[in-house]
Amino acid sequence: MEPLLQQLERFSEVLSVSGTAHVSTWGPETVRRALDWARYLRHVARRFGGHARIRSAVERRLRSLWGPEGRGLTSFQALGRGDVQLFLSLLRNRALGEAAGRALLLQLLPGAGPRDADAEELQARLARLARYRAALLLLREAGSPGGERPALAEDPVLLTQAQLLLGRLREAREAEAGDPGGWLGRVWTRAPRDHFLQVAAVALLQPLEKELGASGPETPGEESQLLVRWLLEQSEVLAAFCRHLPAELLTSVAGRHPALSRAYLGLLTDWGARLHYDLQKGTWVGAESQDVPWEELLLKFRSLWHAPPPLQEEVLAALESSRARGGDFEVPGLSVWTDLLLALRRGER
Amino acid sequence: MDQDFVGLASDCQYWLQKLSAWDQSSTLETQKDTCLYLPQFQEFLRQMYEALKEMDSNTVMERFPTIGQLLAKTCSNQFILAYDESQKFLIWCLCCLINKEPQNSGDSKLNSWIWGLLSHILSTFRFDIKEIGLFSQGLGYEPVDYYPALLKNVVLSLVSKLRESHLNGFNTQRRMAPERVASLSQVCVPLVTLPDFEPLVEGMLTYHGHEPQEVLCPAFFEAVNEAFLLKKISLPTPAVVSLWLRHFPSLEKAMLHLFAKLISRERNSLRRIECFIKDSLLPQAACHPAIFRVVDEMFRCALLETDGAPEVLAATQVFTHCFVEALEKENKQLRFAFKTYFPYTSPSLATVLLQHPKDTPQECRLQLLQRISQMLREAVEDQACGSCVDPFESWFLFIHFGSWADMAAEQLLRSETEAPVAALLWLLAFYYRPLDSSQQRAQTMAKVEAVLSRLQLLMLSRSTPLSAKELQAATGEGSNADPTQSVCGQLIRHLFLNFLLWTPGGRTIAREAITLAPAGSSLL
Repeated sequence: MEPLLQQLERFSEVLSVSGTAHVSTWGPETVRRALDWARYLRHVARRFGGHARIRSAVERRLRSLWGPEGRGLTSFQALGRGDVQLFLSLLRNRALGEAAGRALLLQLLPGAGPRDADAEELQARLARLARYRAALLLLREAGSPGGERPALAEDPVLLTQAQLLLGRLREAREAEAGDPGGWLGRVWTRAPRDHFLQVAAVALLQPLEKELGASGPETPGEESQLLVRWLLEQSEVLAAFCRHLPAELLTSVAGRHPALSRAYLGLLTDWGARLHYDLQKGTWVGAESQDVPWEELLLKFRSLWHAPPPLQEEVLAALESSRARGGDFEVPGLSVWTDLLLALRRGER
Repeated sequence: MDQDFVGLASDCQYWLQKLSAWDQSSTLETQKDTCLYLPQFQEFLRQMYEALKEMDSNTVMERFPTIGQLLAKTCSNQFILAYDESQKFLIWCLCCLINKEPQNSGDSKLNSWIWGLLSHILSTFRFDIKEIGLFSQGLGYEPVDYYPALLKNVVLSLVSKLRESHLNGFNTQRRMAPERVASLSQVCVPLVTLPDFEPLVEGMLTYHGHEPQEVLCPAFFEAVNEAFLLKKISLPTPAVVSLWLRHFPSLEKAMLHLFAKLISRERNSLRRIECFIKDSLLPQAACHPAIFRVVDEMFRCALLETDGAPEVLAATQVFTHCFVEALEKENKQLRFAFKTYFPYTSPSLATVLLQHPKDTPQECRLQLLQRISQMLREAVEDQACGSCVDPFESWFLFIHFGSWADMAAEQLLRSETEAPVAALLWLLAFYYRPLDSSQQRAQTMAKVEAVLSRLQLLMLSRSTPLSAKELQAATGEGSNADPTQSVCGQLIRHLFLNFLLWTPGGRTIAREAITLAPAGSSLL
């Protein structure tokens, strides 16, 4: 058992190294041996996939290796794809020498590796990958001619990334040294922010069983809970989340997660309180340029106003209590809450 | 061997021209043209690989100077890359071109160029947002991990768009424009056999736009039908029925495919025939009268062409049996009247024949048989009858339901009460020899009646056990059978078999009796 686990560790390192400049020292033999190693581990994964004890031992060791990047081997399933991952990593790497490169490409020919009766060969799986790529390119053209984008919540790319995010969160949660919150924080700092927020929102809208690679129904929705908790803890992220995402999307998310809806309403209340009435312009304005303008606030509230019952009532209650606290005025121009309520009710007629 | 290469070299030129033309523009026309040639181009790539793998780099450049250009153009043609195994052969061809021992910078450049092409077809590409690839890498997932999931989500998104479009009749905003559905169907042609693609194929087959003319392209139907017949894709029955209703050539092809399977050199057991037929989904599809008519027409033609060959007859009967079973499973309210399936014969006859002989109680069987016999007789022999039905049609209808003929033979030998012998004999005589004139038929009936009475004698007066020889003598079969006897041979053999089945003691002598019967009997 232990020799296998050590091999795993070493292969995981090899896999990480394959993406770095260090491969310039690799020769054809090294490439072949690395691929053979990957094949062996794939064989192990296929053989012992059903063996609960071995599988959990392997997963435990892999989780302990789970680095901050989340690269390399992260799960038992990933073992089965190690050879393809290694191949592609080397293919992308310009630092790989000529002779080693040739040896790599020649692996694509049939019969290059040892015959494994029931497993699909490396070259067959790579050919299939090329097929998938072509399929996606073809469908992209057909699905959205003229570059029109589908609604965010239905965008298949965002949906896939949301599923990946939830999958990674689950792995982080299960890892011994895993720190899901910390990992999320790192992704937040590195990834394009708007994009990350969109993916997070779509992830929060997923039905509980749909998470990519979910092994069973034991902990449905725990990853969503994790994400919600992290969002609530990170005030900067939460503010950006509630500010920059489209109103409809936010309303759907708030409808699904009561804790978030409370936080959202709280933020909206704070933003509303920063507005004052400008007599000359005849409208509500913020004190500073980065304050949320009246139009945006109205837009968000309008979307919430049309939400299904539990949320809708919450919104109404929040607005009315804010108005009451602000003096309970009926006349416009004195309390932003009065004006909001008037505008919302007017819009209904 | 050299001639092959000359042929291949000129093919190379031909395909290079075609690829260049396809490269020029990406209109619907070029897409259609590309899809037409996908199988042939794949075959060409395969042959190319077989040739290239034997050669070294210099020979390759000598024989196929334009091969590099051709392969490069192929790498940027998504239709080819998406089709079946073309990408596999392309990759192999490229690898064959690799110079294993580069002597100079030219050789290295070639290798580097091949590396570039291979990287390109396996690389991550960017969707419309630039950050997407970066993000996936930030999450630590590789294309091999998420391409299948992404494809699944894209497929599901398209399926739900189609469904919405279908449901939202006049709400033009949510509708997919017909041109878009058409171009989507064109794009799907190479992808039909991709795993996880079935929901979209099903979605398109069951999509009915709001246009009067067909919006899906014919190449799509052909590709789906081909994949279905070769079992490369499995579809639910309603989708297949929709395919055949919308694209007639596919239905024809499916029938021909079935015929080829049924009428092969090896003798198929009835059970296997039934299996093939049920698997083909044609009986279920035939519940739709339009499809039934086409199928029935093909059986009719087959019978005419083969002069009523027993294999085709058996196929027709098994098919009808499966069809009736499928019909019964259909929702009663949505069922069509029987006469829609058999418009050329009297509805009452069709209704009677469609009943199951096994379902009718014993007492009613003889009556029904008599009635059938009477109706057919009227239709066939009575010229004064106003219906003017072609005797062939009546016979064709009758032979669909083989179990009635079986029942007639059985009743002739088994019934204790007075059987309407004449009616039953007429029925059997008509079944086996529809083209006889009334006179000929009467003669046949007389001969068979003689055999029948001999057999009945054998059954009744038993003191000693039955012997095969006695049986043979009774039926008049054997080496010295006179030619006129062999003419009603099939009928007699039918009675003979029934006798073996239903007489006590018949089964014990069955083996011996059968070996004594003349060889080549198709009933046996």
